[in-house]
Amino acid sequence: MSLELKSDTVADPNYDDEFDAIVVGAGLAGSAAALTMANRGLEVLMIERGSSPGAKNVFGGVLYTPTIRELTDFEDAPVERYVAERRFSMLTEGDETAFSLRPGEWHEEPHNDSYTVLRGEFDEWFAEQAVEEGATLLTSTTVTGLLREDGRIAGVETDRPDGTIRAPYVVLAEGGNSLVSEGANLKPTETRENVAVGVKEVLEFPERDGVIEDRFRLTDDAGVSYHYFGEGAVGDAFGGGFIYTNDDTISVGVAYRIEDAATHDQSPEETLNAFKSHPAVAPLVRNARTVEYSAKTIPEGGADSIPDLVHDGAAIVGDAAGLVLNNGVHLEGTNMAVESGYHAGNAIARAAENGRVGAEALQAYPAALEESFVVQNLEHYKWMMDAVEEDRDLLFEDLPRAFADAGTEYFRIDRTPKESHAKNAKRAVLDAVGGWTGAAKLALRYRKVVT
Amino acid sequence: MSVQPQTPDLDNDSMEDRLYTVKYDDPGDSHLDVKVEDVCAECETNDCVRVCPANVWREGEDGVPHIAYENCLECSSCRFACTYDNVVWTYPERGAGMTYKHG
Ligand SMILES: Cc1cc2nc3c(=O)[nH]c(=O)nc-3n(C[C@H](O)[C@H](O)[C@H](O)COP(=O)(O)OP(=O)(O)OC[C@H]3O[C@@H](n4cnc5c(N)ncnc54)[C@H](O)[C@@H]3O)c2cc1C
Ligand code: SF4
Ligand code: SF4
Repeated sequence: MSLELKSDTVADPNYDDEFDAIVVGAGLAGSAAALTMANRGLEVLMIERGSSPGAKNVFGGVLYTPTIRELTDFEDAPVERYVAERRFSMLTEGDETAFSLRPGEWHEEPHNDSYTVLRGEFDEWFAEQAVEEGATLLTSTTVTGLLREDGRIAGVETDRPDGTIRAPYVVLAEGGNSLVSEGANLKPTETRENVAVGVKEVLEFPERDGVIEDRFRLTDDAGVSYHYFGEGAVGDAFGGGFIYTNDDTISVGVAYRIEDAATHDQSPEETLNAFKSHPAVAPLVRNARTVEYSAKTIPEGGADSIPDLVHDGAAIVGDAAGLVLNNGVHLEGTNMAVESGYHAGNAIARAAENGRVGAEALQAYPAALEESFVVQNLEHYKWMMDAVEEDRDLLFEDLPRAFADAGTEYFRIDRTPKESHAKNAKRAVLDAVGGWTGAAKLALRYRKVVT
Repeated sequence: MSVQPQTPDLDNDSMEDRLYTVKYDDPGDSHLDVKVEDVCAECETNDCVRVCPANVWREGEDGVPHIAYENCLECSSCRFACTYDNVVWTYPERGAGMTYKHG
């Protein structure tokens, strides 16, 4: 309600110098920054190009909430289900070998801070929290460039009549397709090896109630997060597939490097179709009706791709700053977006309180981010993408094959004694990794995944 | 009945049906373009066409891709894909373009 009112009353506003800070983009990072600054008494303007926050946004499925909980009352947040099971599947063309976790603890509040959400609803709610703290939201407005005065950033240009809005600080929370930051030379355009294309469908089961609970073995608000990799998920491309359960729909999709999408024959749509048709996936999505098809890119360059986070008069947060951890085991960007928005908001509030502008005045933001899980996690896994790239055939093709073969062999029922099956099974895996030496090397290379 | 009983029948929606699920508000003119047509005419890979999840970019007979901008999901893949940096990519103005209900 209050949202619509706000966006209506500001149809063609003249907002010059009315605000202490302007936030470009009312996604997770933007709303977190706006909420933080509004909380500290700043006049904040959030500008969102969609007709409402989230209207032009999409992600896979799991929102990680530790920082959101600190920032606002999370009780009424529109979440779909909490994540009660995480499952990792290796797919060959015809086999699945899976590892699944259903810890009892995840059923207890706060459910390991992992909830499936749909962004249309969630982003609107989160932006509303900032508005309730006093931030102003301007929707259906695209920021087209930054205003510079004496070399420093002094506001934004928008596509509205009288579209220039001046303010001492600008937070760039525009997501991975960061046209404004790039256009103002605050960061380079990512190479296509470092960006993934994600395509997703929201599926509904028209035939009966309880079908999601039955298929995914769920009760009440419990949900699942299934991740798939290997040849059967996205061919030999670098990436994987996913299924997340919502309240009464499921989200199914694939995400893989644009580099691979460009050099492979399959289009992203065909890759999604093939994934949905895999014998291990099809029974989960059968008889479902597509209620939404969507696509978006994910910046996954990791620690090496983080641009300068602060400039004279501006800070870059969330996906625009490349803050996404995607290494096959973890896909986290929502928590990093919120955390970075929070630290940037705090740094700006402090600078404003001291009447300081300029990049040095905002140094508290990169400093806090370095100390936080955001940069530490990205640094910790920096090596991994390169290692995975190097071992790509092994990890995405040979190992899934070997595990499937080993499993089949290990459990084979015939009149040969078990011992010989076990031996063969072990050999199948060992052969794939290059014997004991190969296994040792591999273990050494990936030890950081668990240490 | 399927000959391979382990692979259940699955009717994937056509691209048309898929795109139909997304609300579209036509901005009137294209927010996508190419910078230099000659570069596209020379380009042999047409990566823009290959990566687009919505068939917005289509192989043209003249060697220059055609852009059916009305179906664009604004994912930005084509912008990153073109190794010649020949894609002109802007956002549709004032909230026009596509809108997701769920996301
Ligand atoms: C397919 C896919 C699956 C993913 N799965 C997960 C997952 O399961 N879990 C997870 O934690 N993360 C996941 N991520 C990553 C996560 O979605 C992002 O890291 C997170 O959304 C980043 O938040 P943000 O606020 O920085 O950017 P965004 O969420 O992209 O928000 C940017 C906002 O800015 C607006 N905007 C952009 N430009 C302008 C402009 N010029 N003017 C005005 N407004 C503008 C946009 O409309 C948007 O609302 C996934 C991403 C994708 C694409
Ligand atoms: S836009 Fe780029 S990729 Fe597409 S045809 Fe032109 S040069 Fe090639
Ligand atoms: S932004 Fe995405 S959907 Fe739109 S034309 Fe480019 S690749 Fe296709």
